[in-house]
Amino acid sequence: MVSSAVLSQYEIAEHLVSIAGANHVRTEADGTVSSVPASTEEVSGILAFCNENGLSVRPHGGGTKQRWGNRTTANVNVSLERLNRVVEHPWQDLTCTVEAGCNWAALQDRLGAHGQFVALDPLFAGRATVGGILATNDSGALRHRYGSLRDLAIGMTCVLADGTIARTGGKVVKNVAGYDLCKLFTGSMGTLAVITQANFRLHSLPQHERHFTVSAPEAKRLSALLAKIRGSHLLVSSLQLRGSREGFHLDVLLTAHPLAQQDSILNSMVREDGLTLLEGSREMWQAREALFLPGRTILRLGTLPAQVCDYADRLQMASPRVSISSVSQSLGLHTIAIQAEPRETIDVLKQLREHAALSRSTVAILEPGTLSANAFVMPEAQLPLMREIKRQFDPHNILNPGKMF
Amino acid sequence: MLKPSIVTELSQIVGTRGMIMGQSQLQTYECDGLTAFRVPPQAVLLPETTDQVQRILRVCHRQQIPFVARGSGTGLSGGALPGEDSIVIGLSRMNRILNLDLPNQQITVQPGVINANVTAATAPHGYFYAPDPSSQTVCSIGGNIAENAGGAHCLKYGFTVTHILEMTVVLPNGDLVTLGSRTPDAPGYDLAGVFIGSEGTLGIATEMTIRIMRKPETVQVILAAFDTILAAAQSVSDVIAAGQLPAAMEIMDRLSIEAAELSVHPNYPACEALLLIELDGPEAEVNLQMEAVTKICKENGAWETRLAVDEHARLLVWKGRKAAFAAAGRLSPNYIVQDGVIPRTSLPSVLEKLNAMAAAENLRVTNVFHAGDGNLHPIILYDRDHPGEEERAIDLSLRILDVCVEAGGSITGEHGVGREKQCSMSYMYADPDLETMQRVRRAFDPLNIANPEKLFPTPRLCGERTRGAYAPHPLEASGIAEVF
Repeated sequence: MVSSAVLSQYEIAEHLVSIAGANHVRTEADGTVSSVPASTEEVSGILAFCNENGLSVRPHGGGTKQRWGNRTTANVNVSLERLNRVVEHPWQDLTCTVEAGCNWAALQDRLGAHGQFVALDPLFAGRATVGGILATNDSGALRHRYGSLRDLAIGMTCVLADGTIARTGGKVVKNVAGYDLCKLFTGSMGTLAVITQANFRLHSLPQHERHFTVSAPEAKRLSALLAKIRGSHLLVSSLQLRGSREGFHLDVLLTAHPLAQQDSILNSMVREDGLTLLEGSREMWQAREALFLPGRTILRLGTLPAQVCDYADRLQMASPRVSISSVSQSLGLHTIAIQAEPRETIDVLKQLREHAALSRSTVAILEPGTLSANAFVMPEAQLPLMREIKRQFDPHNILNPGKMF
Repeated sequence: MLKPSIVTELSQIVGTRGMIMGQSQLQTYECDGLTAFRVPPQAVLLPETTDQVQRILRVCHRQQIPFVARGSGTGLSGGALPGEDSIVIGLSRMNRILNLDLPNQQITVQPGVINANVTAATAPHGYFYAPDPSSQTVCSIGGNIAENAGGAHCLKYGFTVTHILEMTVVLPNGDLVTLGSRTPDAPGYDLAGVFIGSEGTLGIATEMTIRIMRKPETVQVILAAFDTILAAAQSVSDVIAAGQLPAAMEIMDRLSIEAAELSVHPNYPACEALLLIELDGPEAEVNLQMEAVTKICKENGAWETRLAVDEHARLLVWKGRKAAFAAAGRLSPNYIVQDGVIPRTSLPSVLEKLNAMAAAENLRVTNVFHAGDGNLHPIILYDRDHPGEEERAIDLSLRILDVCVEAGGSITGEHGVGREKQCSMSYMYADPDLETMQRVRRAFDPLNIANPEKLFPTPRLCGERTRGAYAPHPLEASGIAEVF
């Protein structure tokens, strides 16, 4: 039951100290209390206390994506930064177990010692944590070949709002025992549970990488080429379209053995379309991260794969007074940055959402910038079910309240 | 029993052609591929449209009639086994391919479409549908979704859930909802991801858009003959350690090789363990990988390696492997196929335990593995006519799952929990884990009418022990109740 009594910041802190220790609880100037638990059990204790007392909770990883989604306030911050161990890496099984507060780059370094990696290129790998990346379901251009986090996360330990510690999935890649709650928690923006540990399936690091890029003034000039590459036998790991007012670049990462001579196959495909293939570099895959500059509004759009170029062009035509940069994954996932006056930004969002309603595409707000609009527009028919899921997992609505709905 | 007024109402929805009530016809639906469990349903309905499914479920919801959705009935865990007071909703008449969208590499189908027909429809354009359960020539896409079906090639290409983009789903209250999206990362919770593999407990999918993949430029299969399963297993580990990701890696033991030989004559070498590795991709790449893989096999003692390069030879190799379950019928009048998963590296120790357990029960167990991902399919051979043998076989099959869990694995890699393994669920998951899954179930199906008494352990079926399906319940022992 939710207690009607309102606890003071001091009383909250005092209780959290009894769980996490005095060195790991801090009262903040804005009236919130920050806690840094050291174990799943301590997270459980904190959540159970907050649930009983109707205190809202903000799970916190590296803090790189806290602004994503709708604005939310919380009484208690739960930082996962002390849950930062790579628990195990049985490399012969191509799996690993890692705590949610572990830094992504640190995890990849550990796995790389055995020539393996979690085949995902999320944003801000140097600062972002495993848990935060899972909660936001972030993915980069590697998704073209390896799928998203929902294909790579095979097990999790989570703490529900009432403090229940639940494990789902397992340590083996193939496992259909019961509901796959990893799917549900991935991308749930910290609104259903706090992820404290995750198991991933791993891949071997590619041994042969070649980076290429093809440029054109308009995306539609690259459209046929993109379709040809998607329908080809080329061993492409990453495929992305970068767009801005200055022009468009189609980036390709080939990972076939040099003897397969796929670079020359790609080259002739490019030349057939009257374009020029240039050697690219590793840096071009950082383009999505480079969109995130202070003050910009960042949106995530989903379109059909065949609409990628059309959509990229459409963005540039949105308004002459607005500067838009985009990085689109081949599967139809676009990250776009808008730099404009607040009113112009609202107009662009409205335009995109009107078009989305007609074209089956979706528009979510990651970094709101100056915008204050609903971050996630979901189909009406799905809403009752989504709300009921939230109610079942978090009946008192303490976990990131308002973040999703 | 269904009330006559309900029977009339249901028959008005599907017509007399779409309703089965006769006792002899109902027998067809009394079990799925797990034939040890049989319960005739109250009625079978064969809807032809989403609208009919919706109207049926509204009646079920209003009257609190449990329902069991059924595809082709090939499931091996009793997922489509009727409950004693339930109706069966057979989706086999909803078998149309609705739209092939090549530019987006997607195809939209109805649930009754046969798995292999999806590939057949896309093959002329150079595409295929990746999940390939052994039953792929008869099993349906709807059933594949319910079970999150895998197959030999999911090592590289993933499971059903990897390939389903969007589904039209009728919820247990009759409401219609679209789960997932044809575009990536639609806002909101990934309800499609939870629905897939929920074994018919969250609703009925009546239309699905699925991802198709470009057929690889080259496919080659190598057969390697070994004197021990351990040598074959070591080769698998070495291939993985070398950074290769084959499309499939399968091991068959002597008994299953013999059975396949009797059944479909794949002309396998006679050996203790046969390792089958399929590589696909660009030709030059595959040639290089095949060289490396062959070398690894030989270093581990393979005394014969055979390369199947052309389509005909390859298909024959796979025909033998995919017939392995059915071929067990050549070895024994009855058999149980199990579906445990273990971390690949624990294969030697698990096999040793498994052999000792079989010997102690004086039962023959033959093994077929998806070795690449540690998915074991021990086939326990027995004769139902020998008193007590079926019980011992079932008990052994469940104890094998315990060994898999103890090794850090799973009780099921692709066949599902269904009725067969529901009591083993509490060996793999603690109560809070199972209760957390129930939260999802309650959100979708608060009345618990969608395939109830499946998947989760229930006191009624699992007795007072938390596991061990076949410990007689006290009520059963005293003759008050029956366990079916």
